[in-house]
Amino acid sequence: MGSLVHIEKLSFRYLESKQWTLSEIELEVKEGEIIILAGPSGCGKSTLLRCMNGLIPHMYPGDYQGSVTIDGIQVREEPMGILAQKVGLLFQNPENQIFMFSVERDIAFGPENLALPRQEIRSRVDETMRLLGIEPLAQRAPHELSDGQKQRVALAGVIAMRPKLVILDEPTSLLDPKTASELVSLIQDLNTRLGITFVVVEHRLDLLTKLATRMVVMNEGRKVLDGKPSEVLSNERVGAYGIVVPSATRLYSELAKEGVKLARVPLAPSELTEQLRRIRR
Amino acid sequence: MHWVAGGFVFRRVESPFHKLDPRTKLLISLEFFAISLLAFAIIQVAIVLASVLFVAVYAKSLKRIGRTILMSAGFAGFIFAINLLFGVGLVSSLLYALRFLAIVSSTSIFFVTTSPDELEHTMKWLGVPRDIVFAFVTAVRFIPVIMLDAFQIMDAQKSRGLELEKGNFVKRIRNMVPILVPLVVNSVVRSGELAEAMESRAYGATPKPTSLYKLRLSRKDKSVMLVSLLFFAAVLYIYLRVKVPV
Ligand SMILES: Nc1ncnc2c1ncn2[C@@H]1O[C@H](COP(=O)(O)OP(=O)(O)OP(=O)(O)O)[C@@H](O)[C@H]1O
Ligand SMILES: [Mg+2]
Repeated sequence: MGSLVHIEKLSFRYLESKQWTLSEIELEVKEGEIIILAGPSGCGKSTLLRCMNGLIPHMYPGDYQGSVTIDGIQVREEPMGILAQKVGLLFQNPENQIFMFSVERDIAFGPENLALPRQEIRSRVDETMRLLGIEPLAQRAPHELSDGQKQRVALAGVIAMRPKLVILDEPTSLLDPKTASELVSLIQDLNTRLGITFVVVEHRLDLLTKLATRMVVMNEGRKVLDGKPSEVLSNERVGAYGIVVPSATRLYSELAKEGVKLARVPLAPSELTEQLRRIRR
Repeated sequence: MHWVAGGFVFRRVESPFHKLDPRTKLLISLEFFAISLLAFAIIQVAIVLASVLFVAVYAKSLKRIGRTILMSAGFAGFIFAINLLFGVGLVSSLLYALRFLAIVSSTSIFFVTTSPDELEHTMKWLGVPRDIVFAFVTAVRFIPVIMLDAFQIMDAQKSRGLELEKGNFVKRIRNMVPILVPLVVNSVVRSGELAEAMESRAYGATPKPTSLYKLRLSRKDKSVMLVSLLFFAAVLYIYLRVKVPV
């Protein structure tokens, strides 16, 4: 698979800020990956996402060094209108991402801004609603939607731009566990069916580690760990970055210290149970 | 408790009047407006008011328009009193007060029966610049959200012992500070996120964006417009030619 995101020696400092928020970040994302981005509050996760979709430097001025390439284009050189068709960004609070008075109109917002012909907008809106299972909500107003539905609608608005990469900034933090796991299944579905690549900032690791191909950890503006979720989570330094390691993985590390070496790093209790059962036999 | 915020939310009503093109509704509203403005006899104003109420019934919106009239009745009373006070005759004062009511209810026909979506299209059709239309859209969209925000903050501060209803006027005003500060902060954060989300969805990428919907006058719209214009002309003729006792 080809490379979709290529970040080289990226450093960024917000205007009138003394410290560099990002320092010499190197990151490569291949097409079709699902990447978890983690790290303590204020380490620069959101800032890195803004660099990926072009809000930095197009909306936020500051000192910018290095380069970010998305699908072969330089983020710094292209206008937001072009970038919005490559990268979609979804934030924590879907309320602030739904502008229009009906779901349908809101999904049409991006394509309308691109001045697509009416027929094309219509078919994109219908297709996106079908894909996300929100056709029955087409005529609803934002205040008639539940939180989970709002999240889906906000995601639909992003998907209607047909991006190759979708980045999500703490998408489940306002959702209850059931709705959160539904969103995660939706991510998986969009990944397998449309081949969309995802970068997700997420604290609820239990939900995402199963489908993530990689996990990247940041600290104080630097990338400190990068690898398979199982590798990163079983690394002894991970705890120092405030990452809550799933209990199954923690148990694995404890056992390893005692000399009990399991064949694979478990990410969920079920995997751990299976391996323990195998040992007993 | 949250009904106040609900008052700012457009309610979809199924009525033949609602289904008309917003421009048709705008025309009817404007005609009523002009007729009320030009009326010079109480009987004329009374007829306008009655017709507006009739349209309201047809549009299944009597309650909402009635409420608008009731809310402006206070101000109409004020107009009446001021005119009397400055020596305007009883009948004329009454005329001015009623005329005000007629004007308010005429305009409210349009606003009560037109969805924010239709309003947006109408503004675009009238050639209002896109940024202004969009500012208007987000304002209307977020008024109820911000009001709910305000109620939540009030609840939170009350549960921490803030007493809103106590004290004299100055104290009460000062009590509002712990409500307003978080509300303003919230709204600033909200507008920041909003701006980011707009940019991320290519707002302003092209000078002439397209639209999922386009306003189209149906045959029914055209005939309603025609009939209403004929009525309007007839009324103007009566105003000019027929002397009605004041
Ligand atoms: N618009 C801005 N202007 C100036 N400084 C900013 C701006 N946005 C963020 N920062 C600063 O940059 C640093 C990184 O912020 P960022 O939001 O990227 O962190 P984060 O990892 O997303 O944190 P969190 O987990 O709390 O969301 C912080 O110190 C923050 O104060
Ligand atoms: Mg953040």
